[in-house]
Amino acid sequence: MVTKTEETQLNQLEIQVDNAGGGAWDYLCLVRDLKIRRSEKVLKHGSSILNDPRKRSALGPDEWTLNEQVATAAMDCQCLGVAQNCIKALQKKFPGSKRVGRLEALLLEAKGLWGEAEEAYSSLLEDNPLDQAIHKRRVAISKALGKPSVAIELLTKYLELFMADHDAWRELAELYLSLQMYKQAAFCYEELILSQPTVPLYHLAYADVLYTIGGVENIISARKYYAATIDLTGGKNTRALLGICLCASAIAQLSKGRNKEDKDATAAPELHSLAAAAVEKEYKQKAPDKLQLISSALRSLKI
Amino acid sequence: MGMGSNGELKYEISQNAYIKLVLHSLRHKTAAVNGVLVGRISPKDDGVVEISDSVPLFHSNLALLPPLEISLIMIEEHYVAQGLSIVGYFHANERFDDVELCGVAKNIGDHISRYFPQAPILLLNNKKLEALSKGKERSPVMQLCVKDASKNWRVVGADGGSKLLLKEPSANVILSDYISSEKWKDVTDVDDHLDDVTKDWLNPGLFN
Repeated sequence: MVTKTEETQLNQLEIQVDNAGGGAWDYLCLVRDLKIRRSEKVLKHGSSILNDPRKRSALGPDEWTLNEQVATAAMDCQCLGVAQNCIKALQKKFPGSKRVGRLEALLLEAKGLWGEAEEAYSSLLEDNPLDQAIHKRRVAISKALGKPSVAIELLTKYLELFMADHDAWRELAELYLSLQMYKQAAFCYEELILSQPTVPLYHLAYADVLYTIGGVENIISARKYYAATIDLTGGKNTRALLGICLCASAIAQLSKGRNKEDKDATAAPELHSLAAAAVEKEYKQKAPDKLQLISSALRSLKI
Repeated sequence: MGMGSNGELKYEISQNAYIKLVLHSLRHKTAAVNGVLVGRISPKDDGVVEISDSVPLFHSNLALLPPLEISLIMIEEHYVAQGLSIVGYFHANERFDDVELCGVAKNIGDHISRYFPQAPILLLNNKKLEALSKGKERSPVMQLCVKDASKNWRVVGADGGSKLLLKEPSANVILSDYISSEKWKDVTDVDDHLDDVTKDWLNPGLFN
């Protein structure tokens, strides 16, 4: 995951490089560090460095990292010729390397040769049964083949070994969500909140899932997690603020048959008004042309 | 308000509505995306649904309810002033060769059709989209899906009664141009808006 500051920095650097303002190598390093997928840019700028003999030799040993990065980006953009060239260069420099072996298998994936790719990964796994990247590629192959249940099975087994891999938990949650298996997705977010309780996005995602499952108890819980998100983000997360308003409305709807004491116990009118006010303030400052719209929407959510 | 015979409707989609949705899919090539169709029953012929605009919704976690609920409220609120409402749903699957309507698409389609019974689901057809670049595609690059008598969603074939039509015959030509000029970079959806309210899901100025 990437913070807003990191994303802004990356975008600024990207604009600079796009406009021939230099900094291509810094950009490529940042993309690599943040593990962001900007394959077209990486391909374009990485290739221009690799194709220029002076720039290439100026990199020194980093040349090989760049070859790997450009190969992967090229595969993502279906420029398999470029990828093949990079991989050839790496094979020449590092014969018998398992890291290059991974790239070769990835190229098979890019070509849609799923059977061969699967075989390549299996044999690589024999020598390195704990290679996390290879395990994940196998999950990716299942996804690409449109077999989400197989992907889930593989990913669950992976997480039994590597339960601290947060990205894997998130991927699993998203796989479950794509199949509308909300309770299972909720479990994943619970694991993430337990291991990283100060990351607001997990609280937000969990709240969204609880709300989606529905029922008064879940929505009351969702409200707590939206509140936690607001707490952790200093009140700046619009989705969480809107979430509070949605919860207030949903709880009121679901409580219609109940007696007054029960209703009062579950209502949180101050929280609701504060959240609504915070949303309106944000829109007033940043998107005034939408203020009327959001105020109207919030009014329709009032009890 | 009646429908054409046997519920066979014509869905006429305007260039802007059509192109916006396709560009949105192209902006997020590696994800499933969705959007809503905005319009009305044609005042001249109640066998025709005019889709005059569209709003791209999400490119992540399409199955979550809270962002969807907020979007639908805001979108209805905005368009009611123009005498328009949400009249259908658009979905583009994550994978190139996936032509199935997933559960999420059907659920959202069901919800929209509660308010607008003639609501269709339009599913992006990737093979046709690919053919577009070769200048061989005249029909919309979307699959029309409607609810049959037993309330199940089904894809309408070429011989089906209902039809999806491009209002402007040149829509595909314009779309191809936009794809070449990478216009899809400029499309904003509700997901973007919820992350940063300065981003406008109405995409004013997109086609200027």
